[in-house]
Parts: sequence; structure tokens; C-alpha cells
Amino acid sequence: IFHGFYAEEKLVGNLASMSTSERIKAIQKMPENMKKKREIRNKVLKEITEKSRPGRTHFFHCTQCLQGPALLFRRFGNSLAEYFHLLQLWHRTLKIIGAEFGTSVLSYFIFLKWLLTFNLFSFLINFSFITIPQFLAAEPNNVSFTGLELFTGAGYFQQTVLYYGFYTNATISKIKNGPSYNMQLAYIFTVGIYFAICFLILLISMAKSFCRNFINPQTYSGNASRLLCTWDFNITNEKAVKLKQKNLSTQIKEDLMEVNREVLHLSVTERLARIVIHLVSWAASLGTAVAACAGVYFLSTNNAELFVKGHENDLESQAATLVLPIVTSLLNTFIPFFYSWLGHLERFQTPGYQIYVTITRNIILKISIVGILCYYWLNVVAASQSQCWETLVGQDIYRLVLVNFIFCLLGSFFGEFLRRIIGTTVRVSWGPPEFDIGRNVLELIYAQTLTWIGILFSPLLPGIQMIAFSIVFYVKKVSLMMNCQPPRKVWRTAQMTTSFMFLLFFPSFLGVLSVVAVTVWRLKPSEECGPFRGLSSMYAAVSNWIKILEDYTASKWVVWIYYNLITSELFFFILSALVLIITYLYWQIVEGRKTMARLLRKQIIN
Amino acid sequence: MGNKQTIFTQAQLDAYQDCTFFTRKEILRLFDRYRDLAPQLVPLDYTDKPAVTLPYELIGSMPELKDNPFRQRIAEVFSENGDGNMTLDDFLDMFSVLSEMAPRDLKAYYAFKIYDFNNDDYICKSDLEKTVNKLTRNELTPEEVNLVCDKVIYEADVDNDGKLSLEDFQHMIIRAPDFLSTFHIRI
Repeated sequence: IFHGFYAEEKLVGNLASMSTSERIKAIQKMPENMKKKREIRNKVLKEITEKSRPGRTHFFHCTQCLQGPALLFRRFGNSLAEYFHLLQLWHRTLKIIGAEFGTSVLSYFIFLKWLLTFNLFSFLINFSFITIPQFLAAEPNNVSFTGLELFTGAGYFQQTVLYYGFYTNATISKIKNGPSYNMQLAYIFTVGIYFAICFLILLISMAKSFCRNFINPQTYSGNASRLLCTWDFNITNEKAVKLKQKNLSTQIKEDLMEVNREVLHLSVTERLARIVIHLVSWAASLGTAVAACAGVYFLSTNNAELFVKGHENDLESQAATLVLPIVTSLLNTFIPFFYSWLGHLERFQTPGYQIYVTITRNIILKISIVGILCYYWLNVVAASQSQCWETLVGQDIYRLVLVNFIFCLLGSFFGEFLRRIIGTTVRVSWGPPEFDIGRNVLELIYAQTLTWIGILFSPLLPGIQMIAFSIVFYVKKVSLMMNCQPPRKVWRTAQMTTSFMFLLFFPSFLGVLSVVAVTVWRLKPSEECGPFRGLSSMYAAVSNWIKILEDYTASKWVVWIYYNLITSELFFFILSALVLIITYLYWQIVEGRKTMARLLRKQIIN
Repeated sequence: MGNKQTIFTQAQLDAYQDCTFFTRKEILRLFDRYRDLAPQLVPLDYTDKPAVTLPYELIGSMPELKDNPFRQRIAEVFSENGDGNMTLDDFLDMFSVLSEMAPRDLKAYYAFKIYDFNNDDYICKSDLEKTVNKLTRNELTPEEVNLVCDKVIYEADVDNDGKLSLEDFQHMIIRAPDFLSTFHIRI
């Protein structure tokens, strides 16, 4: 690559004219060995000091004294990055999992860790900005504590900071005429800013992942890259390596046999029969989803009656509130098995297609169950005349989260532990189970969706979910090591990770945003509890605040921004038109580049 | 943040930080791993740049590498003389390229060199045959190996010269996004 003295001189000159961080990146990226890189680096540094030496002594002193602090600053930044690296949890655990099971199973645990950081962030800001001020203005809790509260979330917990209803609507100030803290604004702004930051983080991660991992489906062919690019260097366990080699040779043999087999020509009747089977199974799966939703809705309206009747302290009726979450989790656990069985019945062209169809059906089921629950909460509970509907919704979500967590642990026990016992003793032909990545990731996304919906009604719910996720991490890791074998088929890990992030963003997060938007803008908060009692909507707190600000000349610009940018439809219309125009331009540029690439490829071949 | 270590001078550590993707702590940790392979050969003081080389057998016995079918090629590619015996510089280089911070082009360049068994800057059919045998532990028959190599060359060879050049390889890597996560050794 580096031929001749001239090329090196030019390179040194180029590097010397770059900024420090660019130069470091360029040196790191050079495909040379360490000795050569160090030589070039030293030459570059010498040239930089030489360039600043001749002539102006003042300038020389200045650059010298700039270089000293610049170097110190970089070293400080490096050590800060190191300490941040210390916070990287579970580095060793992830290494072991990757070593024995490969990158695809590792992607599940990395996804779990990523979701944990969302919950940690939410818990920290909710706790600091909403809960701690509330502690200063807390009312005493007169309800007694029985153990059942941990499961139902009601009773003692109802009068604690766990739920929306406990928070005051007052402006808290400890000292007379001292600094005051407006709880209404704090609540709505904390939740709003958290969701805005989450939106940005999800959007940017998804876009980066999509950009890095996008494959043009027309030119993708499996064999060459399967051979040369997918050997997993992470795997360092001897048994796992042998297993992977065996799987690869089996796959290659299968592929070679497929090439020799002729393409199946199906007659018209056979094709019709296949289409009918596909339609019937789709109808069956959608029908089960609709039936599940109807069941959940019926049960939840039953639940509402229990609360309206007011037997809140009755042990039996409290335990009866657990029926809804248990039934929901049962439906979420067993209907996917039905879908897998349907998937086996229909004979798909490729196994990959079967996995995608099954995952799609599972997503539709889970999203419709969450949807029907949100409809029930927002339309039935909110409109009912019960005392504190937000706390009731918060309790419902708490119970759902808790029961989902318990079912996740049980699922691990039955799905992996018992299945291994069966697979190694009773029916040895089955063998030990493989770790079902798709099902587990969907469970995580479902749990995170519930948590996000619950943030508005129960600010400390992310903390509970954080603890739940940590326990799930350890349980799944132990179960994986003890019970499972490495996956046989090669998963397209990068594509799967992108799809998981997309699923987290698109139905899950955007759905949550719409639910929160409806709650904040349209629903009337309850009269007797919570930070927004007495207002016509939660958003009214912000508009009232803007009206107050109008009287102060110092904050006229805030009022101007509010009236002319945030609440004006014209502004958003212009913004959307601009975004559409820019998208169209970028799309045309991409099309042009594709044509260019095609022409260039033809030139190389000829 | 204190300068408690006496193994390297500050200038040496700065140079290592500029030339690899590692932070100061990681470099010191890697030095400990290197020294653990042969404590009697590796001195604790590198300030006078001693010329210490560890033989391939020790490198190949590291837990991260000992079951990797390509460990010998990896050691040969990153060692100075191409014989698999590595100095500390080579050791740091190797794990830097195999770390997760290394960009795709750098990894593709070194992966290409690893699969190029005869070091002629092209992956020809005999290189591919050796690769396939290492990947499948010699379980395929010679005819199957031949068929597979023909298919790979047919699919990946863009300039139609019967062997894969670095550009062909990089072109293939772009369409395999898993490469970044699989060509990675965590240490």
C-alpha cells in the first residue's frame, strides 16, 4: 500500500494538516503494523512542531502552550471514558455467553441490557424531579401494610409515591417566600422530556443500525459470505466450535443437494390448495387474537365493577383483581404455541419465512391485547366516576408487569429446564432445547411497552421494571448455560437486531406516545387526587403557566415561541412540507447512485 | 488517573493510545495478559523497548484463540516476520483490529490476509479449499469442497479473474453486515 518515499511524505503532510482527533482516527485506521504507525505518528508530530517554529516566536509560544493543555485535556477525556467503561455491567458474562453460544444469542442479552438503561434513566429522572420534592410535601399514610400489596399494588401502596394519585398539585416551598417548586409543571415536563429523549435515542439507534446493516436483497447471495464472513470468532469453547463446524458442514451439504434437486413445479390445484391453507391459518390466527381481546375486555369491565362497588379492603376482591393479569399472561404464553403449530402445518417455501410469519402473528396478538387494555383504561376507567382513575390504571399496569415477570420466570423453568429433562431422558431424539430468541425478545418488548405506558400513572414503575429485568438477565443466563445448546441454523443477527429495534420503535414506542398524548390532551384528570386535580386536562397546566408568563416582560420570548411555533398549525404544516421535500430529494439521489453503481459494476466485469 | 504504573513511559502510552483503539487501562490490562503467557520472558519494564518475542505456541494457547481454527493464520498475519512469534506491539495490534471499535475496512483488510494462505494478495482456489477444510473440520469430500469453492468464486469474483482480490472481498463484506460482530474477539 505504501510504495515509495513520496507517498509517505504526502501522507505525513496530509496528516499534519488535520485536526488532532481526525489525525488520531486516521492513524488508528491505517492497515499497517504498530512499528510503522508509530514511525508515521512521530514524523507527523515532528512536522507539526516544526511548522509552528520558524519566524514568529510569539506564535510559537502560543501553540506550545495550547498543545500542553490540549494534551492534558485529551488524557482527561480518555480516563473519563475509562471510568465510564467501568460502568459497563456484565462485560465478563456477555463474553462467556458469546463464547459458548455465539453472536445471535448474545444479541438478546445485549438488547436486554439496552432496555435496562432506558428504565434506569427514567427511574433516575422521575425520582429526582418528581418523587424527592413530593417527599417534602408528603401526607401521612394511614393504611396498614399486608403482604398482598406486593402483588396487587393496592392497599398500602395506594397512598405512597408509587402512584399518580399521591402527588400534590401544590407549589411546594419549604421556606416562606423562598424558592418554590411547581409540582404540576415538574410532572408534565419530566415525563414529556423523558419521552422526547427516548424518541431521539430510539430514532438515532435505529437509523444507524439500519444504515450499517441494510442489505440490498437483489444482490444478496448466501454462499460466499456464509463461508468467508460468518465464522464467529467470538466462540472460544471447544465443544461449541466443534458443534459449529459440524453445523456448517451439514448446511453446506444440504445446500449442495438443493442445487441438484429440480425446482418444484406445482400444478394449479396444488397452488390453490396452498393459498387456501395460508388464508385459513391467517384467519385462524387473527380470529384467536380477536377472541383473546374480547376475553380481556370482558374481564376488565368485570374488574371495573369490583372497584366501583367500593369493596377495596376486602381480601377476596383484592385477590380477584389479579385474575385479569393472570389471564392476559396465560393468553400471551399459550397462543404463540398455537401459532407455531399453525406455522408447522402450512408448508412454507423457506424456514426463514415461517419464522417471520410466526413473529408477525405474535406481534399482532400482543399489540392488540395492549391496545384493548389501553382502550379500556382510557375510555371506561377514565370516564367512570371512580375516585382516582389514574391510580387505578397505575395499579392495573403494576399488576400486569408483575405477573408478566413471574410468567417469564415460569416460562424459563418450564420451557427450558423441563424441556431439557424431557429431551435428555424421556425423548432423547429431541435433544436439549435451543434458546428461542424471537419469543424472548417479544416478551421483553411487551414488558417495556407496559412500563412506558405506566410511567405517566406510576412514576416509579421503571425502577420496578429495572429490578425485574436484572433478575430476568441472571435467570436467563443460568438457564441458558444449564439447559440449552447453541443454535443450529445461522441467524442473520444483524438484520434481526435491526428488526428488534424497529419493533421497539414502531408499534411499541409510537403506540405508547399516542396513548400518552390522548391522556394528556383529551382526558379530564380526576377531581380529588394527583397533581392535575381540578384542571380540564393535564395539558391545561402548561397553558395556564404560559398565561401567567404573559404578565412578565422578561419571558415574552417564551410566550411568543409558544403561541407562534408550538401551538400554531401553520408552523407544523410548513415543517412537514420541508421534511417531505428533503425526503424526496434524498430518495432521488439514492436512485441515481444505484444506477451509477450498476453501470460501474458492468464496467469492471468487461 | 494517577501515573502509578512504571511499565511504560507516558509518551509510549500516548503512542499506543493513538495507534490502537484501546484506552490506557485496556493497554495495561493487555500487557498483563501478554506477560501472563510467559512471566520469565517478559520484563516488567518496557521503558527501554526490549525486543521480546513470544513463540507462537504460547500465543496459540490463549483461551481466546486456542479453539479458533484460524489461530495460526491470525498469529502469522499479525507477527512481524510472518512466522507467528509476536512482540507486544504485534499482540496489541492484533487485539486492536479484532476489537469492536475497529472499522469495517480495517477488519476486511486483515480478514483477507488471514484467508490468503499463500500470501500472494489474492484468495485463489487453493486458499478457499484450505479455508473450507478448516471451517468444516475436513468433513466434506474433495468433490464437495471443489463445488463449494467454485460457487464462492462464481458469486464473489467481480472482475472475473478466477480469484478474489481485496476489492472483491470488500465488496462481499459490505453485503454481510454480520461480519463486524463476528470478526471480533472480546478480551
